[in-house]
Amino acid sequence: MLTFIIATAIKVVFFVVLFGLTLSAILTWMERRQSAMMQDRLGPVRANIGKVRLWGLLHPLADALKLVVKEDFRPPHAYRALYVLAPMLALLPALLVFAVIPFGPPVCIDQLGAALADVGGMCKPDQLHYLQIANLDIGLLFVFGIASLGVYGAVLAGWSSNNNYALLGGLRAAAQMLSYEVTMGMAVMGIFLVYGSLEPMSIVEQQSTMLDWGIVKQPLGFILFFFAAIAETKRAPFDIPEGESEIVGYFVEYSGTRFMVFYLGEFIEIVFVGTLITTLYLGGWQFPGLASDGFHSFFGFNVNWLMPHWAVVALQMGAFVTKVFIVCFFQLAIRWTLPRLRYDQLMALGWKGLLPASIFNVVLTAAVMLALQSVK
Amino acid sequence: MAKVVSIKRTLWDALYLPSIIKGLGITLRHFFVNTFTSREIETLRYGEWDLPDYKDNPAKPEGWRGKKKTRDLPDRHRGLHRLMKRPDGSARCTACMMCATVCPANCIHIEAGEREDATSRDIEKYPATFVIDELVCVVCGLCVEACPCDALRMDSQQMMKPVAHRDDAVQQKDQLMSRGATSIAVDGGAGADWRNEYARLGDARQIYRPDRSFSDDPIGYRIRNTDSK
Amino acid sequence: MTMKAQPSKAQPSETQPELVEIAVDGETFSVPKGKNLLEALLDVGEDVSYFCYHPRLSIVAKCRQCLVGLGDGHKLVPACQMTVQEGMKVRSKTEQVREARQAILEFTLLNHPLDCVICDKAGECTLQRQYMDWDGEASLVNHDKVSKPKKVDLGPDIVLDAERCILCDRCVRFMAEVAKAPQLLFAKRGDHTEVSCAPGEQLDHPYALNVADICPVGALTDKSFRFQSRVWDLWSTRTVCQGCAAGCDMELHHKDGDVYRQVPPKRWDLNLNWMCNDGRRTYRQLLEKERVTHPSLGGERTDPDTATTHIAEALQGLIGAEGSPIGVVLGADVSNEDAYAGARIAQVLGARLYLGDRPDDGKGDDILRLNDPNPNRAGVRAMANKDLLNTKALAEALNDGALKALLVVGDGLDLPAPAQRKLNALDLVVLSTPFSSALIKKASVVLPAAAWTEIDGTCTNAAGEVKRMRPAFEPPSHARPHWDWLVRLGVALDADLGFLDAEGAFSEMSANIETFAGASWGDTIPTQRLRFSGRRG
Repeated sequence: MLTFIIATAIKVVFFVVLFGLTLSAILTWMERRQSAMMQDRLGPVRANIGKVRLWGLLHPLADALKLVVKEDFRPPHAYRALYVLAPMLALLPALLVFAVIPFGPPVCIDQLGAALADVGGMCKPDQLHYLQIANLDIGLLFVFGIASLGVYGAVLAGWSSNNNYALLGGLRAAAQMLSYEVTMGMAVMGIFLVYGSLEPMSIVEQQSTMLDWGIVKQPLGFILFFFAAIAETKRAPFDIPEGESEIVGYFVEYSGTRFMVFYLGEFIEIVFVGTLITTLYLGGWQFPGLASDGFHSFFGFNVNWLMPHWAVVALQMGAFVTKVFIVCFFQLAIRWTLPRLRYDQLMALGWKGLLPASIFNVVLTAAVMLALQSVK
Repeated sequence: MAKVVSIKRTLWDALYLPSIIKGLGITLRHFFVNTFTSREIETLRYGEWDLPDYKDNPAKPEGWRGKKKTRDLPDRHRGLHRLMKRPDGSARCTACMMCATVCPANCIHIEAGEREDATSRDIEKYPATFVIDELVCVVCGLCVEACPCDALRMDSQQMMKPVAHRDDAVQQKDQLMSRGATSIAVDGGAGADWRNEYARLGDARQIYRPDRSFSDDPIGYRIRNTDSK
Repeated sequence: MTMKAQPSKAQPSETQPELVEIAVDGETFSVPKGKNLLEALLDVGEDVSYFCYHPRLSIVAKCRQCLVGLGDGHKLVPACQMTVQEGMKVRSKTEQVREARQAILEFTLLNHPLDCVICDKAGECTLQRQYMDWDGEASLVNHDKVSKPKKVDLGPDIVLDAERCILCDRCVRFMAEVAKAPQLLFAKRGDHTEVSCAPGEQLDHPYALNVADICPVGALTDKSFRFQSRVWDLWSTRTVCQGCAAGCDMELHHKDGDVYRQVPPKRWDLNLNWMCNDGRRTYRQLLEKERVTHPSLGGERTDPDTATTHIAEALQGLIGAEGSPIGVVLGADVSNEDAYAGARIAQVLGARLYLGDRPDDGKGDDILRLNDPNPNRAGVRAMANKDLLNTKALAEALNDGALKALLVVGDGLDLPAPAQRKLNALDLVVLSTPFSSALIKKASVVLPAAAWTEIDGTCTNAAGEVKRMRPAFEPPSHARPHWDWLVRLGVALDADLGFLDAEGAFSEMSANIETFAGASWGDTIPTQRLRFSGRRG
């Protein structure tokens, strides 16, 4: 039991704090710098400690520092309890869902130096650790169950601020998130049909070659999921709940630390969407061609490079991080490419475009699966 | 009669995906070209021009990839408000409330007071309090245009600095006056004596157009009087 | 007593005047013969400017601003000095007239200091308005203006800026003709002429503040309003003065919940266009007296429902008891609706009705002010003409110990000290009042009521005119109109008073009480911003 608690604590610290929070902090800077590069600007490069500037990488630090020391302002007629609770409600689901994402292969702690062909079989059960905080059978259901709680943060923030604009923003957020959740769920139905499991670790393990990746087997599902996920994170082009500059959003009355929590929550959601898409569609921690004891084929060539277990784990975790980073990069890139949808366009796209397409995707997948089975 | 143009949308267009990919192509191309080639980005720099780091060191600072371009704010840049002074050091403002009236954001709050020691040549009314909430201000400059006394200006060439508390952004009279300089334009509301000033300063029609020559203020208005000889 | 419908117009003359036809710029109008030509022109909508003319004052034709052409005559004449005659041909829009008015205006402005920036009249100044309408040009004169004293203390209420004065003579005429106390006169000569107090006099007449109103420029201004606010920032609410039983129509000028001044409405037919100094200062009681904002029970703050339930429980045992031991006092300062609600609740309780009034203060005069300081005595009397007992009777009843419970509505009760002490012996003393007073210590339940600036309702003046009061502010905290408290008390007593708002109370009242039969609820005049309200004076 103690081992389990320690192992889980290490995983939480490594994955959520070191990976999730750090990456989302870096993303806040990356978004500004990346957009600047796209628009032939420089972006934030000024923050410095003495002469150390690190291309502006200190900006997240400076931002956080500034926001934390700012005045703890509360609108005079805000509903105090909910006003304080709302940012936490927005952040918590985004952090919770990391629990079921596998960020590496199973690790055999006492045989790190050896080349293991079959980790499950060659390792003592008490030495085998899954690089996943909680290995739930219904992992995906958990993800959707928790992620949909995020809407409370937005709605309660809008309502408790006692501001008409915030309230309208909260309502827009609720409508948008409810609409796109349906599409997201339907898109995942395809994955479920193909891999026959709701357990993220099992889904990843089945994507051992690139041809088995979800993006190959479910191309339509991938696109639908990607867009629905962007809408869920309330980012451009689906950012009508916030609309920082023009259509004041649900956290307009928030400032200082509470605003930072909202802001951080948004970027954690980006990271979370990145990990989820990586897990479901991009082979999770799988490194193309890498088996659990090394490379047997490398881009079509038959090779036999045996590697120690630790190197394989490291490569595969590296692959996971890289994939997540690339997905995050594209999420940011889309924001700076597409204009914001109007509210009616958003609803039309959700209900009349993506939802029918996702149902079609489920039916198509089911039909193909049935046909393949009957061929066998 | 407007011309009606019907645009035929093919399935290809309706999918949007190709256009999205095309758009991503453009933005990503710029991103990669700017990031991974040595192309220099030319851009105007925001704020902070007075950082000693930039002023004294013309070399590129670390992390700085673009060409260094320093610039001043334009002459008519609208910065923090300031209250101008009479030659005797008192505020030129007479609390006429023109600025508070015209302010679209209602960010100016003045309470008038009466100078008990006023002689017949002095203006009896003065602002006991003069408060501008710079957070509420929309920097439209209407208050400056409305001011009949050349008392309120926004040409301080200073930007609003970030504050940790909202109260710190509320500028009191002494703060506004600390940026002020002497202006010797004719005082609005000066009683019948004002015409004597009028004669002293020459052409009457120039008086309400403050020119640098009327002011010892280094950054006065630079509006030239086009119709004077 | 009969009640007249509001608004009360100026008394039409007994005999219909003979109508004659006059032509104004070729257009024909029929106007009463012998009427002042300027007045007639204004009535037919002609835009004639003027400074010195005032319908309540004699004609002097000093300002020469109302020049019109008559017939084919080349010379222009001031319209205010002419009377309407059959077949008059008036030229008012010709170039000659426009030029003449512009020239006169430039002449008027010759020594005017143009210190609108600090002038309290700016925004409602006739001179400003006329300049915008008729001149709009810079002065061509380039030599020194005549300097005069800028701040002359004329008396307790008025301060004079002699430079701004355009010598229209209105204030001098007002003091001589209306106030009948010629305290003002012109001193010096030519362009050095100044308004001044007569030697050894100061401007301290109880109507002196009217000169600040009728001054067409900012020469005479109200000391208490000096530099307080620009007029265009104020909001105006039409209501009724509560200073005395005369019930003058007036405008309450306020901003951000504070009253800045009270002035007569800009209508020459309402209370002669005047108001007394005392009336203009009525709002000060709002500042001087302490407000009651929360209901209290035995000195402890409580919530409204607890308070009304407590009263109902305490009264329950006394209803219908021998010798009707409950008394209801209607203060003579409450509105008609409040008084009606009080009378209805007295009916429910089987209580005796008393009138709580203050004695005459002897400040009455023959212009407007009456001796009776109770603003709504007539309205309260009308609720129970014969059954209404007076304060003396109340004191006697208290002395005899005939009363066990007393309900005091309003702040009007002025009980002598011995009688006040007797209140301690009562089971229940309920006080519904906006202001804190000596009685509050004797009261077992205090209900916070809305002050007169906060109620929508009617009141009846000594002449029997029912006038509408309109609210300028929301009542503070838990304060609400008296009738509202009484309706709540009725609910707690299981009695339906038959109305739930002031207008409902008024229509019930006019249906049930004979003297209010013809009265009307009055027009809705919303609170308006003075920003574009035009001129005053």
